[in-house]
Order: sequence, then structure tokens, then C-alpha cells
Amino acid sequence: MSTTPAQQFLRDAATKSADLAHRNIIRHNMESYDTAHLKGRGRFKDWEAARRKCQEIKREAVNHLDKYLLQFEEKVIAHGGHVFWAADGAEACAYIADLAARNSVKTVVKSKSMVTEEIHLAAALEKIGITVWETDLGEYIVQLRNEPPYHIVTPAMHLNRQQIGELFKEKLGESVPNDDPGQLVALARRKLRQAFFDAEMGISGANFIVADSGVVAISTNEGNGRLTTSVPRIHVAVTGIEKVIPRLEDLATLWPVLATSGTGQPITTYSTMIGGPRRPGEADGPEEFHVVLLDNGRSNLLGNAEEREVLHCIRCGACLNICPVYRNIGGHTYATTYPGPIGSVLTPHLRGQEFAHLSQASSLCGACTSVCPVNINLHHQLLHNRHDAVKTGGTKFSERTVFRLWRTAMQHPQLYALGGWVARKTLRLLYGVGLSGSVLDPMRVWSRKRSPVPLPSQSFRARWKKDLGRNIGNR
Amino acid sequence: MATVNNPGRDAILARIRAGLRTPARELPSASSDGEIFEPVTNPLERFQQECKANLMECLKTSDAAASAQQLAQVLQSLPAGVIFVQDDPKLRSIMEMSRTERPIRWSSQGAPLEASQATVTLAEALIAQTGSIFVTASCGGRGASVVAPCHIVVANVSQLVPDLKTVLANASKQGRLEQTSFACIISGSSRTADIEKILVQGAHGPRRLVVVLQTGP
Repeated sequence: MSTTPAQQFLRDAATKSADLAHRNIIRHNMESYDTAHLKGRGRFKDWEAARRKCQEIKREAVNHLDKYLLQFEEKVIAHGGHVFWAADGAEACAYIADLAARNSVKTVVKSKSMVTEEIHLAAALEKIGITVWETDLGEYIVQLRNEPPYHIVTPAMHLNRQQIGELFKEKLGESVPNDDPGQLVALARRKLRQAFFDAEMGISGANFIVADSGVVAISTNEGNGRLTTSVPRIHVAVTGIEKVIPRLEDLATLWPVLATSGTGQPITTYSTMIGGPRRPGEADGPEEFHVVLLDNGRSNLLGNAEEREVLHCIRCGACLNICPVYRNIGGHTYATTYPGPIGSVLTPHLRGQEFAHLSQASSLCGACTSVCPVNINLHHQLLHNRHDAVKTGGTKFSERTVFRLWRTAMQHPQLYALGGWVARKTLRLLYGVGLSGSVLDPMRVWSRKRSPVPLPSQSFRARWKKDLGRNIGNR
Repeated sequence: MATVNNPGRDAILARIRAGLRTPARELPSASSDGEIFEPVTNPLERFQQECKANLMECLKTSDAAASAQQLAQVLQSLPAGVIFVQDDPKLRSIMEMSRTERPIRWSSQGAPLEASQATVTLAEALIAQTGSIFVTASCGGRGASVVAPCHIVVANVSQLVPDLKTVLANASKQGRLEQTSFACIISGSSRTADIEKILVQGAHGPRRLVVVLQTGP
């Protein structure tokens, strides 16, 4: 029998959370992020007002999605660009592959884009013989390792400098003394420099697309996004339909909020707006500009007013960083393009109930909701998905039985007390003969890898009657 | 052209419209509708402060002659090689005053060469709130602010605007994005923290971003 994604998830989660080296790297990175993020939020006069404003902008856009997309399209065409609407990943890849073939493109440079990961664009282009270079440093590292990004903002967050130094030595044939980060960056820059000037096509994503001005807004720190959209003859921007915002001025709030939530910066180094191909009289820039608007399941979320709010997401990564589950099991365990809380919410909608188990990859602690810069109620969305999964997929007989028994017990205090007494006696007996964690142990899920939970001698109710309740009552 | 051979377009629009027939949920009433950012009271001071935080160099000068002198000093500190300059009368005059002996490629001759040691451009505006420079394709093109290891911006304090909101509202009002294909708000040198969250300057773009900020005419 082949493994289901749910079984694989549990297996990988167990392995990763026991991997001490991985834990150290993630802890170090997340602690740096936490410090920067908190400091960044402190720069706002009113962070809650900023979140509220961003929520209103995205809400306005998503609730009038057709209007703003058409306005954007009209502007781009008026500026000499092309707009292609792709229903799914296959359509998007076919359009870009065809465009590349017609223009005899041999080399493509890419800046970071999760949407192109979602549709496996690089693989589609490589299949027709095109060399594809990821140019964001983190993306370049995971491309060399032949693995997907670990995180939507920092793709190589799971690696330390020694591992990256080793990788460069093996794949690029050059070693860097002491794996110095500055020199590792310089080495990658040298290797990628030629690619930028060889490439006939540059492919970028978009952080926002602006309806009233017809521009694609891209935030990058490294400048690779700038070179990708400046040097090659053709620029293709691939983006989800939900990335549209109404007005250029909206960026005055969205940019600082995105940067703060993503890395803690006040604003990303390069906040670029591109509205078409090079105009007459301009010194440089691509001769062709294409925007691919990708649906790929997004429009399915619109019909449900609660699910629709998931489309407000600006992909800052804050919910991944704060999530206690993500911090322990890591990004790859999710086996989805979008990991962490937002990925657990979004993936079952985009890829079906096969990923319904991800809704359970949360303690519903609500940390994700507390940091979301557009106020998506993420943990309620997870609960909503659990509800969906039960409704469509049903539940196991054993699960239904246990919950039925639980309900009956909760309604009958005597029965509950009896159940508690039996459980305490039985567990004590089992643990007494050393059967903790064995197949006979009903607490096996917990105790097979942990020491057994100490059993209380009395029930909570008995203790409450005796002294607990009195102590509290006296306060 | 754009809609030719694009069967997906109408299908996607139809799905969006069908979905949007469901009314949106009420937005819970605002708990705070306060000011988002602290207002900028002293733009020049704030700009210099933010430049420092962004690891940019801000060189204040009194007049064109002083600007030319500062420019010459920065150019002198760079390795030999061609520099790319935005073809503008103001920059032509400053370059002449700086008496640099380096080969110059003007933006009217095309894109900057890959081997350029520095690029010299004007800016459309300077933003105090974030210590940023606002450039468009009119400032020597797209590559002018990213190809070389050093980007020098010659600007005047009269170009300072308090915040992002103002710069974007002005750009909108003046139709700057109708007139040019590219605009960018640049807030520091090119950088990355992809390896162990350690900040490294000069990833793919300039290691140095220098603003020669002239206070007089």
C-alpha cells in the first residue's frame, strides 16, 4: 500500500522534530526574526491601525476582484504589455513555454516567486531544454540542492553556513575560507552575474498588482529582482489573481507592513513598480512585457464568505515564523508549496481533501492570527477546514464511537466519575507492570516516546471538594 | 493581442463573478482608526537618520561646486573603469566640474555596461520617512540604479518629501507611471540575510549607495 500524504506528514514530522541540528538552526533563525519583527512593529505609531488598513485594502480588492483585474489589464495593454489569464498551472506553463520557444530562449533568470513554485514552472521550461537560474540567493541554494523552498520568504532557512559552504564546494567547485557568509554571497553573485547578461527572458512574481496604474509591484532586497526585470529582452511576471490592489497609494501602507512582517525591515530595499516594456527614449529595459494572471483554484474560495478572506494573504511568512508547529516540524514536512498556518489553510482548497490532515497540524493556539498583518483569522480558518473535512470525508467508526462515549459521559457526572476511576486503576496497573507505551496502553500516542504522565491518586472532583475549591473560594 | 487565444479569461471572470454573488461578511467595527505612522516633523534630519540606518552614505553639500568635489572624491575611491551617467544637463555640468578622467558612458548611448564601476543619476524625489530615493526610468533607465557596485545619486533638499504616501500620491497625480515604464523606491544598498540571517551588503546590486545632497541651488 502506498503512503498517503497524511501518513507521510506524521512520519516526517516525527523525524524532523527529533533532529537536534535542525532545531538549532531554526531556533537561531527564528530568534533573529523575532527580535527584528518586534523592533519593526515598534516603529509604527499604531500597528493595529496599520493591520486594519491593510485588511480594508485587501477586502476591497478581493470583493471587487473582477473590476480591479479588468482595470489592471486595460492599463497594462495600453502601456504595450500583454496579459494572459491562466485557469491552472498547465495553462500558465504552456503559455510561457510557448513564448520562450517562439523567441528561441535558451536561458531564463528567475527572481523569487512562490506562484512559479506552485505551478512547477522551472521544471516545465527545463523539459523543453531551457536552462533556468534561480537568482535569489536562498532559492539558488535550494535549487542546487534540488529541493523545494523551506520557507516562503527565506527559502534556505534550514541550512547553516557550513552546509551551504559544502554545497557550493561540491556544486560550484570553489570553497570559501571558514564558510564566511560575505564570501559565500560574493561567490553566488559571481556565478549568477553571467546568467543575468546571457538570459533572453526574466521571470518574476509580484507582491502586488496595482489596478489604477497598471503596474506590478515587486519587493526585493538583493537586487536580483531588479536585474531579472531590467536586463533580459523579455519580462514575464507570474502572479495569482488575488494579488491585485485598488490604488497606487495603498502601497504606502502595504509596503512597510509587508517588510516588517516578513523580515522586520521598515521597507524592502527595492520596492519596484513596472508598468510595461521599455518606452521609446528609455535607456534600457525589456522589449516585451507579459503578465500571467493565475487562478489555479483561487476563484473557488470566493463563493464562501469566510474562505474568501484567505485570499487577503500577502505572503509575508509571519504566521510560519510564529507557529510552534512550524518551528518544530520545519517547512518541508508540510510537502506543500505554502507551508505553515497559511499553507495548512490554503492547500486543501487548492489541492483537495488529500491535504485535509494539515488542518490538524495546529494546536489552535491562535499565534498565527495574532501576527497576521491583514487580520486573517487563521486558526478559525483551520477549524472551518476541519469542519469541511468531517463533512465531506467523514470520520472513522472508532473516532465517532469515542466521541459518542465522551458526550454521554459529559452529560452524566456519575458515569464520568466511574470512567475516571476505571481509567486511573487500569493505567496504574498497566504502568505498574511496565507496559507504558506498549500496544496495550491507551495513552500510547503520548507515552511511546515519552515517560508516562504521572497519575493522580484522586479525581479532580474529589480534590476540588477536599481542598482545591476551598482555597480558591477563600481568595 | 492580449485576449487572442486566451480561453481561460472569460471562464475565470465568470467564476469570480459567480463566487462574488455571495455577500462578504461584515467587518467587525474598528477598534482603532488612529494614525499609522508617526508624522515626519523634520524631513532633512529624518532623512539623514534613516539613510544611516539603511547603511547609505549621505553627503551634504552647499552648492554645485561642492557637490562636484564630493562626487570626484567618491569616484577617486573606486577601482579603474567606466562610469555610467544619466544624460542630463545638470549632471553634464557637475561631471565637467568634477574633472574626472574616467571614461564616461552617457545614458543616451544605451544601457550601462556590465563592467561599469559606478552609475551617477538624479532622483525624482527623496523620502524622509524611510531614507529612500525615488527613481524612474527617466533617471538613466532601469539598470542605472542596480548594475554597478556603486550608485551615486545627485539630489537637492528641495526634492525631499515627508513620506511614502506623499511620493506615491504625487506620482499618481503627475501620471509618472503613465509616462515611464519603471519606478523604484530604493532604501539602501543591495543586501541579503539568506545565510543564517547575517546581513551581507552587495548581493546582486550596489554595495554602496551614495546620496550627494545639495542644500543650495
